[in-house]
Amino acid sequence: MGRQGMKRKGIGAIVILTFVLLISACSGGGNGTPSTNGGGNGGTGGQTEGQQQNQPQETADKPVELRLGYYSSAQTDAKMQELIAKFQEKHPNITIKTESSPYNQFFQKLDTQIAAESAPDLWLSDGVLVPKYAERGVLKDLTEWIERDLQKDDYYGLDFNKDANGKYWGVPQGIQIAVLYYNKDMFEEAKVAYPTEDWTWDDLKAAAEKLTKDSNGAYATDAAFDKNKVAQYGLTFFSITEGWMTVLKSYGGGVLDESLTKSIIHTPENKKAMEWIVDGMQSELLTTPSDLKSFQSNMAPFPSKAAAMRIGIYARTIDANAAGLNYDVTLLPKGPDGKRFSPVIANSWVINKKAEGAKGDAAWEWVKYWATEDEAQNEWAALGEAVPVKKSVANSEQFLSGKPENKKAFLDSFEFAGTLDVNAVWSEWVGKFGDNINRAFEGEISVDEALTQADKDVQQVLDEFYKK
Amino acid sequence: MVTPYLVHFLVFVLGSLLASLYFSFSEYDILNPPQWTGMDNYTKLLHEPVFWKALGNTVYFTILFVPLQTFFALVLAVALNQKLRALKLFRLAHFLPVISSWTVIMYVSDAVFNPRFGFANSLLQSMGLDPQKWLQDEHLVIPLLVLIAVWKGIGYIMVIYLAGLQNVPSEVYEAAEIDGAGTLQKFRRITVPLISGTTFLVLIMSTISTFQAFEQIYVMTGGAMDASSAGGPNKASLVLMIYLYQEGFSFLRMGYASAIAWVLFVILFLLTVVQMTLQKKWVHYE
Repeated sequence: MGRQGMKRKGIGAIVILTFVLLISACSGGGNGTPSTNGGGNGGTGGQTEGQQQNQPQETADKPVELRLGYYSSAQTDAKMQELIAKFQEKHPNITIKTESSPYNQFFQKLDTQIAAESAPDLWLSDGVLVPKYAERGVLKDLTEWIERDLQKDDYYGLDFNKDANGKYWGVPQGIQIAVLYYNKDMFEEAKVAYPTEDWTWDDLKAAAEKLTKDSNGAYATDAAFDKNKVAQYGLTFFSITEGWMTVLKSYGGGVLDESLTKSIIHTPENKKAMEWIVDGMQSELLTTPSDLKSFQSNMAPFPSKAAAMRIGIYARTIDANAAGLNYDVTLLPKGPDGKRFSPVIANSWVINKKAEGAKGDAAWEWVKYWATEDEAQNEWAALGEAVPVKKSVANSEQFLSGKPENKKAFLDSFEFAGTLDVNAVWSEWVGKFGDNINRAFEGEISVDEALTQADKDVQQVLDEFYKK
Repeated sequence: MVTPYLVHFLVFVLGSLLASLYFSFSEYDILNPPQWTGMDNYTKLLHEPVFWKALGNTVYFTILFVPLQTFFALVLAVALNQKLRALKLFRLAHFLPVISSWTVIMYVSDAVFNPRFGFANSLLQSMGLDPQKWLQDEHLVIPLLVLIAVWKGIGYIMVIYLAGLQNVPSEVYEAAEIDGAGTLQKFRRITVPLISGTTFLVLIMSTISTFQAFEQIYVMTGGAMDASSAGGPNKASLVLMIYLYQEGFSFLRMGYASAIAWVLFVILFLLTVVQMTLQKKWVHYE
């Protein structure tokens, strides 16, 4: 038995180790070799590259195989394949091999592919992940190509991928921008006037109080209201994009300074914004993080008619439409000083730094096709996943028709849109910030404590990566 | 036959082992080649409160889980080692959760412990008690996860015990009965010592697997929905493997994550050595 026990332990240990090791070990060496010759069958190397940069049309002659990666659902996958086929008809020399998987798997696989130098030549990146790859030296700098081929004024959101040094690392594939969603039936039932573009966050809270209802049907304004049994929240509130960042920024606060390497968390503006949120949550007008855990997903309260309002990006129209809600959208409320902020995520095409020569040019052809061709833009817009990148298409009748009625609010919001202080360690600082403020949201610690600690923790994450 | 095995061993066992050991002494973001940093990862680890919190949670989980599961699995095995009608049906019923995936278990347990819609809170409220936040309560999360893990895993250990019980000769029980031993006495004086070898195996196996617990906690604390919420609330259920996963795969610190893996290995190695030493005192071999 002793021997067997020993062996068991050995096996156990190996199991643990292989968990981390196997996946990472495959990377091997040779990562550092600068790609002088492009990836694999990149063609004839330097000569071709020079030629094509001067005369991009000539790509048409040489056959190129391009590996294109994207995350997708069944629905978007079909449409993507369709568009790729159309693109290949126009560019018979380019053969596209696609690699797609659901969101989480896609990015996990991508990281290991990059390590093994087998990443696609171009891929669709979540907007918040672009700097993660750019600042770690994985992406091609697209600044020159964008300046050469794209009329910046014709597109929404090119600047959302610009880094602090003015370089562009991607071209938006579709844009997510947030507005205020409201359920008209609930407003009517509670006899509250619909939100207007002049609302402040305080106006929103006053309305939320009249819209928050317990399971006995008593509103938060009634004496009989039982806040332990909320059946309908005034506003559902989740995490950063559809939660705190929007409020912090319209109160004049924020998380990082312009260099995106310094925390500016502990400010009077943030404190005021946080107090607004915490007060709303403590009176159960807004969902706390733990309230959300009762739902099937963090996105569920609004489409499942458990919340009268939400801060929502464009993609949320899909669920709201599918649920058959009687809803509409309007601009997000103003801060106390009239400042507005609408968070943006520009999911983008990015090109592998190692895709050189003909491959790089072919990849750029795809990006250009996507952004400039009305056909691609219209077809993708029809899925209802994102606001089209090309302004003429976004402002077309075709895009603006359909539910919600006031779709124009999404476009109007670009005027005061901004990113989520995205940098190379975004997911990590968001996690640290969330850990602290969520405790304030649950009423476990004070706003001051939460901001002090969050400031320290976030700065530590930044310092570690940027090493001052 | 030797060469294929050797290739397998060198590539998938020794190679990966040495690679991870090397990574643990380097800064490695997966996307770029590792940079040697000496003991940095280990120094950082020892000064990182989150690591200690995760280690504490892991130990807490293990201390609750292993004895509880071992004890109840033994009792269950003894109960189902008798001549009962539809015995196989009972055994099968206890084994069913073992083959279910954690995602399925998550949905089932959500039906019970969902703070808003769950059965547990309606029961509490119907008895006039305050509803609980269950898995969202810092103090309840680990005990509750342990209970669910015991419920799911008990059938597997029970089967191992059933196999062990086959080896206990019935004459011993008969002799004890003649001497006037009752059920409890037979259990304590005969069953427990005579299957101590199985118990030892079970203890070592469950300790190791509990230290590596990942899937259950990841799924049940919402990791599948939002990776950063795994191990919550407020890191109350953050165990070493989830910590390792987040550091390595979410935050691209594979060097540091490898250091966590090696520390975990050392802990398990020492624990097993201790268990091996102690077994001489209580494990009975035929």
